[in-house]
Amino acid sequence: MKILGIVLLMSLPFVTFSQVLEGTVYGNEDGEKQPLPGVNIYWQGTNRGVASVGDGSFKIKKGPRDHMLVFSFVGYEHQEIHVHDLDPVEVILEPNIELGEVKVVHKNRGTYLSAIDPIQTERINGAELHKAACCNLAESFETNPSVDVSYSDAVTGAKQIRLLGLEGTYSLLQIENMPNLRGLATNFGLTYVPGPWMESIQISKGAASVLNGYESIAGQINAEYKKPDADEKLFLNTFFGASGRLEFNGNGNIRVYKDVLSTGIFVHASDQSKKNDESGNGFLDEPLSRQIQVMNRWKYNNHKGYMAQAGFNVLTEDRLGGQTAFERGMEPLITNPYGINIENDRLEGFFKTGYVWPNQRTALAWMSNFSRHETRSFYGLNHYDADETRFYANAVLTRDLDKSGAHSLNAGVSFIYDSFNESLYDNKMEHKEQVPGVFAEYTLKPSDHFTFMTGIRADFHNLFGTFVTPRMHLRYMINDHVTIRANAGRGYRTANVISENNYLLASSRELKWIENVFQEKAWNYGLALVQKYTLWERELQLNAEYFRTDFQTQLVVDRETSASNIILAPLDGKSYSNSLQFDVRYEPVERLDILVAYRHNDVKQTIAGRLMEKPLISRYKGLINLNYTTNLKKWMFDYTVQFNGGGRIARYPTENLSIASASDDDEFSPYTVMNAQVTKYFRYWNIYLGAENFTDFKQKNPVAGADDPFGPRFDATNVWGPIKGRRVYLGLRFSLNHQ
Amino acid sequence: MKKLGLVFLVLILAGSFSETAAQKKGRAVVCFQSDMDCTNCEQTLYEYLKFEKGVKDLKVDHASNTIFIEYAEKKNDDKSIAQAIEKKGYKAQKITKKEYDELVEHSKEHGHEHGHEVHRER
Repeated sequence: MKILGIVLLMSLPFVTFSQVLEGTVYGNEDGEKQPLPGVNIYWQGTNRGVASVGDGSFKIKKGPRDHMLVFSFVGYEHQEIHVHDLDPVEVILEPNIELGEVKVVHKNRGTYLSAIDPIQTERINGAELHKAACCNLAESFETNPSVDVSYSDAVTGAKQIRLLGLEGTYSLLQIENMPNLRGLATNFGLTYVPGPWMESIQISKGAASVLNGYESIAGQINAEYKKPDADEKLFLNTFFGASGRLEFNGNGNIRVYKDVLSTGIFVHASDQSKKNDESGNGFLDEPLSRQIQVMNRWKYNNHKGYMAQAGFNVLTEDRLGGQTAFERGMEPLITNPYGINIENDRLEGFFKTGYVWPNQRTALAWMSNFSRHETRSFYGLNHYDADETRFYANAVLTRDLDKSGAHSLNAGVSFIYDSFNESLYDNKMEHKEQVPGVFAEYTLKPSDHFTFMTGIRADFHNLFGTFVTPRMHLRYMINDHVTIRANAGRGYRTANVISENNYLLASSRELKWIENVFQEKAWNYGLALVQKYTLWERELQLNAEYFRTDFQTQLVVDRETSASNIILAPLDGKSYSNSLQFDVRYEPVERLDILVAYRHNDVKQTIAGRLMEKPLISRYKGLINLNYTTNLKKWMFDYTVQFNGGGRIARYPTENLSIASASDDDEFSPYTVMNAQVTKYFRYWNIYLGAENFTDFKQKNPVAGADDPFGPRFDATNVWGPIKGRRVYLGLRFSLNHQ
Repeated sequence: MKKLGLVFLVLILAGSFSETAAQKKGRAVVCFQSDMDCTNCEQTLYEYLKFEKGVKDLKVDHASNTIFIEYAEKKNDDKSIAQAIEKKGYKAQKITKKEYDELVEHSKEHGHEHGHEVHRER
């Protein structure tokens, strides 16, 4: 070894005779230095630069006029240093508070599981978002094993997600780390996030950090939009569905003042004006719809610790569904065909800002958003109109408690204001939530291998009083291959009984409810094991996880007690969900990524006095996703198959209680859905052709009593499978970068 | 319709195997020394060159400042490729495959050595 060292030392002058500056870049991870690979390092005012390698080290040629060396890396603060001589430099980059969540992204893999984050988190980046037609957030999960997407009902086109087998409402939906798409946006919110606007999605399972609030019982889904200071200058996308769906998306970034002030403009328009009734039941498989959305956002970054972002978003949407003979402008009358019309108008705004003290040990962040949402709708003869005004603000102070950063503390205050006015049937209702809260979270990170995070918050609710939310997360990296995570936490949620369940109005049974606003409470526990091995020089990833959620109070949708009502009542008894998931990711052949996953759902709820399986939920889900790219990534092929297990259908109660003996109608059978897509890349644009559900599997009779929609048996809300059959589509993307 | 899925699967697998087998027929290789210096330039050049006509394989490396291109002889020639590199504002000095290999090898050693050096300093 010594000889080798001498040989190396001797040869050193030959390789470094030109002036070369060496150094190492670290990231400050909760106060600890972590080598940071992939950092862009360049001489200011030139385009000569390098990137740091695996151990954070770099080498860069230094010319006589090169003095200011710039370090930049996504998720970290930009840094500049003055270089006088050729002494090795050491630089520590501070995480960007705004992007605090984002960690080093594996370049070629669309989805990956982080081993650094103490919370079990899946990250979906741009590469993965290209894999599916991906018109909006609801459709971005087609290739994802953890999130299920299903139709809420057979007529409105609303889609809902499930995480751990639990409805999307139990997951905290965030846009840019701020709660969003709730209340009146619950049912259609997922279609309000256009796929091409998104930069990445993070899905974390189990009760999340207290910093984000007292919600997130089952998990948290965060979507990041493209940033105005990103490389992309212009992006255009058009999409044609053979079923008559047309879509246009575009965004452009303008650098208003150097790299300090930039703005992004986003546009979305989609239209479905062709009537489709493949099932031939006289009802549209998907409503006619039109959505227009515009967003403008600004970013200011002085690269000296201060940053601010602000923006607004306007959306208008119209859906017209029901019987094919129902035309726009028709009155909702029993003498007319059955029709559904939903109009949504929404305005959103956000402001966030952050400052990092020069000593890099203290940071302050402020995040706030605002929304105003108005809904006018009718489902047959049922009218539902509502408006909601919401405001959210959160201030967090982050501080390292010691020099090494092994101990750090986040503390802050938050405020939620949410005001509802609703009218359904002949009832007018209003309620207002005002919730100030305080929170603190302590993180212990003595080494790279261990993180312990515990947080607590107290919220002072004007309707439900004071409540306390404890949360705990633990991560332990046993060795290079095995990481284990555990979490436990309490969660609360305000159920806006009508607005979240208004799709149930597509039924002849009248909704019956006791309170129009209600607090749900649950405990969540989870355990996850992530393993990474190198098998034939390629990474093999194995993941196993188990999550349990126990509800103390919950809103239960009871379709089984009354033949004339759907009852929305508080839980009386037990309600829980067990979710066990395994997934394997590997690249058996060069550039062919395979994901195989299986999840078992055990979701039970006490309905009408009996502990039963929650209806309309598949007992398991299997997923296989194959992604192949040719050399140089000129072609990309994707294929996904989902195996959905069977489940229970709510039993329709009969008047004389002689319930038809457990017939097939009480159970749906397992079914398989396949999607495939081919993408061809060109220099500035790419074209994709695909088919969703190409085996054309559809749920039979999604609309019960379709022949008599104003009669007593009409029900379009018992939906467990696809309503739409095969959908072939073609899309184009065009992008231009800043050079 | 289920069969269609199977066909797709087979196509994917077949595609991935056939590629290695089909290489080198009617292909030409050209190597250049350039003046990229930075990863950004490497990226830009890579994304640009891969869509030049007939390009089948491509390696762009800023550390050794080299470019390796394999292309279909019928569709392109060394000169046009050099012009494409120059069009993006970089030098395209043609070198032999041997020189290329040496440069890449040299730059690798360079990196290696560097790793040892860091250890010694600590």
